[in-house]
Amino acid sequence: MMNESDQNKDQKKIGKVFLVFAGICILALPLAVLAAFSQHTEETVSAAQPAAVQQMDFDSQGRVIFESYDNIVKDYLEGLSTERTLEEYYSRRQYLGSPPYIPHKVKDSDGAEMACLTCHAQGGWTAELKRHTPLTPHPEQTACRQCHIPETDQTLFQPNNWVSVQPPRLGRAYLPGGPPPIPHELQMRGNCIACHVGPGAVTAIRVQHPSRGNCRQCHVPDLFPGLFHRNSDY
Amino acid sequence: MPVFSYLAYPEKGAKEQLRNDLAGLDHCEVLPSDNEEVLVLVTDTPDEHIEKDLKKKLEGLKSLQSLGMTFGHTGE
Amino acid sequence: MSISRRAFIKNMAVNSAVAAAATLFPGISFGDWKKTDLPAGSIQWQKAPCRFCGTGCGLLIGTSGDRAVAVKGDPNCSVNKGLCCVKGYHSVQILYGNDRIQKALIRKNGKLVEAPIQEALDLVASKMKSTIKAHGKDSVSIYGSGQWSIADGYAASKLFKGCIGTNNVEANARLCMASAVTGFLTSFGLDEPMGCYEDMDNADVFVTWGNNMAEMHPVLFSRMLANRKSKDHVRIIDFATRTTRTSQAADRSIIFKPQTDLAVANAICYEIIRNKWVNWGFVKKHVSFHKGKTNIGYGTEDHFNFKDKAETVDFKAYKAFLEDYTPEKVEKLSGVPAKDIRYLAALYGDPGKKVTSFWCMGMNQHTRGTWINNLVYNIHLLTGKISSPGNSPFSLTGQPSACGTVREVGTLTHKLPHGVVMKEGARKMAAEIWNVPVENIDPKPTYHTVEMFRALDRGDIRFMWVQVTNPMVTMPNLNRYRAGAEKEDRFMVVSEIYPTPTTDVADVVLPSALWVEREGFFGNSERRTQHNVQMVPQPGETMCNTWQIIEVARRLGFEKQFPWSRETYIEDIWNEYTRFHDHPKHRMAPYKELKARSGVQWPFVDGKETKWRYNAKYDPAAKGEDFDFYGKPDHKAWIWLRPYEPPAESPDGEYPFWLNTGRVLEHWHTGSMTRRIPILHKAMPESYVEINPQDAADLGITNGAKVKISSRRGSKVMKASINGRGIPPKGMVFVPFFDESYLINEVTLDAFCPISKQPDYKKCAVKLERA
Repeated sequence: MMNESDQNKDQKKIGKVFLVFAGICILALPLAVLAAFSQHTEETVSAAQPAAVQQMDFDSQGRVIFESYDNIVKDYLEGLSTERTLEEYYSRRQYLGSPPYIPHKVKDSDGAEMACLTCHAQGGWTAELKRHTPLTPHPEQTACRQCHIPETDQTLFQPNNWVSVQPPRLGRAYLPGGPPPIPHELQMRGNCIACHVGPGAVTAIRVQHPSRGNCRQCHVPDLFPGLFHRNSDY
Repeated sequence: MPVFSYLAYPEKGAKEQLRNDLAGLDHCEVLPSDNEEVLVLVTDTPDEHIEKDLKKKLEGLKSLQSLGMTFGHTGE
Repeated sequence: MSISRRAFIKNMAVNSAVAAAATLFPGISFGDWKKTDLPAGSIQWQKAPCRFCGTGCGLLIGTSGDRAVAVKGDPNCSVNKGLCCVKGYHSVQILYGNDRIQKALIRKNGKLVEAPIQEALDLVASKMKSTIKAHGKDSVSIYGSGQWSIADGYAASKLFKGCIGTNNVEANARLCMASAVTGFLTSFGLDEPMGCYEDMDNADVFVTWGNNMAEMHPVLFSRMLANRKSKDHVRIIDFATRTTRTSQAADRSIIFKPQTDLAVANAICYEIIRNKWVNWGFVKKHVSFHKGKTNIGYGTEDHFNFKDKAETVDFKAYKAFLEDYTPEKVEKLSGVPAKDIRYLAALYGDPGKKVTSFWCMGMNQHTRGTWINNLVYNIHLLTGKISSPGNSPFSLTGQPSACGTVREVGTLTHKLPHGVVMKEGARKMAAEIWNVPVENIDPKPTYHTVEMFRALDRGDIRFMWVQVTNPMVTMPNLNRYRAGAEKEDRFMVVSEIYPTPTTDVADVVLPSALWVEREGFFGNSERRTQHNVQMVPQPGETMCNTWQIIEVARRLGFEKQFPWSRETYIEDIWNEYTRFHDHPKHRMAPYKELKARSGVQWPFVDGKETKWRYNAKYDPAAKGEDFDFYGKPDHKAWIWLRPYEPPAESPDGEYPFWLNTGRVLEHWHTGSMTRRIPILHKAMPESYVEINPQDAADLGITNGAKVKISSRRGSKVMKASINGRGIPPKGMVFVPFFDESYLINEVTLDAFCPISKQPDYKKCAVKLERA
């Protein structure tokens, strides 16, 4: 139990750092892009720009990557980035809290420790899927492929009658406008920022007030049914 | 191979009934919502003829209030 | 992701509907799993050991109503501290395959038909009676498993050894851990690791010897990675015959030619002596030197017999023996550069570095498996790096209860719960606790597993009861043993949960209760016993394996020895069984303690677990000031002079490739459980043969192309995997054995270590052709 709250503190720190970093990025990125363009105003009149780009010396993926930089801001600002839905979130899992499968291509040559964290630890934009990557709430576990595996096939060996419980309802505060309690288990999901904040978060659970910092001061776990009963005959 | 998808709205209070009715029909797959009174219905019939039949069956369901088509693919 | 056009269109249809719904109803959700009516808050959590590997993770199983619906890692379990692997996280889904065997089946006119379970049990008992009458007590046998719960194995041993009086009791752990056991017994006199998992948090260097720990004991590997992350100087060295995920994560990957681990281990000792890194304070007080027979054979013939003879020698003889194992000589043999051998030796020899060695099937499934276990112990004994936190030669167990059941209860032909059948004292103790006449217990062992299946083939055994294992997929040289089991007048009883190639040859199939459908105990690699209560009802007519044995035993007239009630029999059996181990070298925790805690290690003495054996600081059974290797009569650990000897069958002109077999992360053993878990099957739907890219190019084989693998015994056509997660060196191929549609054991060889009798699944000779 001590471990968990320490971990929470660490992850909140990381969360805070991430927020600042994300903030700077979001501010800086369009500025950086604009700055880059403005430096080449002499050569890059809009009609002439394609020619200049063509003349640049790209290696195999270079052009794609270079051009995708332009598209990042455009897609993001125009809302073309495919937002993550709750439906999609649950479709990757077998029950509440199970490790989601990997929905994108991965290479076998990615070893046990990870390539995954370059995108999933602090967030990233992937042009391949045109979206922001979700963050892992447990970046201290580095053997990602031990729990998260890809789908290479859609068939079943034998059908299965697996069922599990309902996912929790959203936004069920006890009083109108109040802080909704935490409806999910906290084991390995104690890092609120990772899932509830940022462009990679599921839209339905994205919070509007991440800068308040100490989430658990208002949001408490709601996992134990039942009411208070006095143990007294009096 | 016509493939269609719909949002299926049940009559008041009849969501479970509608789900069972739809699950009982051939060539139908149902995806009920967890938290709203609506279901996703996907139909996948081998030819136009069976597709017409299926549409008639759907119209006859008492538990179904309305169907909104969200995707259509007629095959070829 | 290969997905048909039709499926693609349907996907689009669903996505369109769902997207439309999302705009109309913000926050709408459609989950992927079928829902019960019960909400998330209705889940009850109870602890259980994981059903899969020998790591022995503690799980919390979430039940709602009468179904298991979720899993968490148990944060109170010191093994895994709340983390699992993908198999553990989906383990509860093994209970819900649609083709679960819920009724007993009896073969009539060639087909298995349903029958009431009481009728099936009657048939099993009557068949046992008539077979014993016609052919003697040694014509009946039971073949169990390292996945047997402890009570299952105890009941089996008591019935067959104590009551019927036959030593035809074996378990699949013979194919898994036997060399580890004989390694322990020859080096230390007592079985099971002297260290514990805490060694992983304390070591400075880890060496994995021929085991792909990242996939096979993933949670333990994560602990090693966490240690390395927290300290700059920690190193992980992968010493293996092929490149795997473990090699990729390691700081150094050293590849050796199959079987030459024997030579490299000796070369490391040669270097330790040459560089004067020997811990003389330790060696002089606690080590003695011995040698055994050489040229000991391979066991491929029926009735193969071998008994080793120990001869005491001295350090001088050991040093002279090692002259054949200089790094330069061994480089020629093994392909390992001399400088890498010196590098390993330096890590072991550095007095400031704590070293933990891990091994599993690479060293155990080996025709000199006992020897290689001895040789790695030698390295740790020469340097005194043993029985203390972080210094640990750690033999990992493959199955969840190979330790707990097969080794500790002793479900092998020569063993009793305490001691061996050959010793009168052990027989007397068993007879007293089992309440049987001591004459019942046969002092002569009969057959080890491979020989037992040979006996079945020959007709010396006419009745075999198989529980919790799948020999018609896992026996090496499978064609012979399947044909043997299918012969006339061979009665096969199989206790199973799903249809498998073994139920395909059964005469009676008994439906077994699975894992958390019954109360049980497992014992993992680090001597930790874990308990679970029954959490979900037993479907259909399924019956716990222990109770099946009790029902049959009563029908055979042994009510007195199997008197327990249905409500308390597991606890009663635990109380009776632990009487065998009631001394400080092996005492087990009481039932109440195991029920309450997330696993308890043995020896459990005066309320405390013994974490490091033989070290007087931690082990109350050790006398003296520092170490006391009380397993041996001379109270010392034994260094054995074991030479390099070649494998049973090496590649040659006609069959130029090594065939290596093993597992993958997603699947457990023969896949009868994990293939029925959708996410695991979808990640790994089919077996394949790993081929080195250059070999593939030479043969004109591309990724996914069909390849025919043939040996002198059988052949299989499989798809090639090139540059996948495992890359064999030139001249070797690797096939995982989880897929019953590709019975690779038809190709393997039933050669075994003459001391342990464990077969070598890692080395035989094959040829490849495009198919």
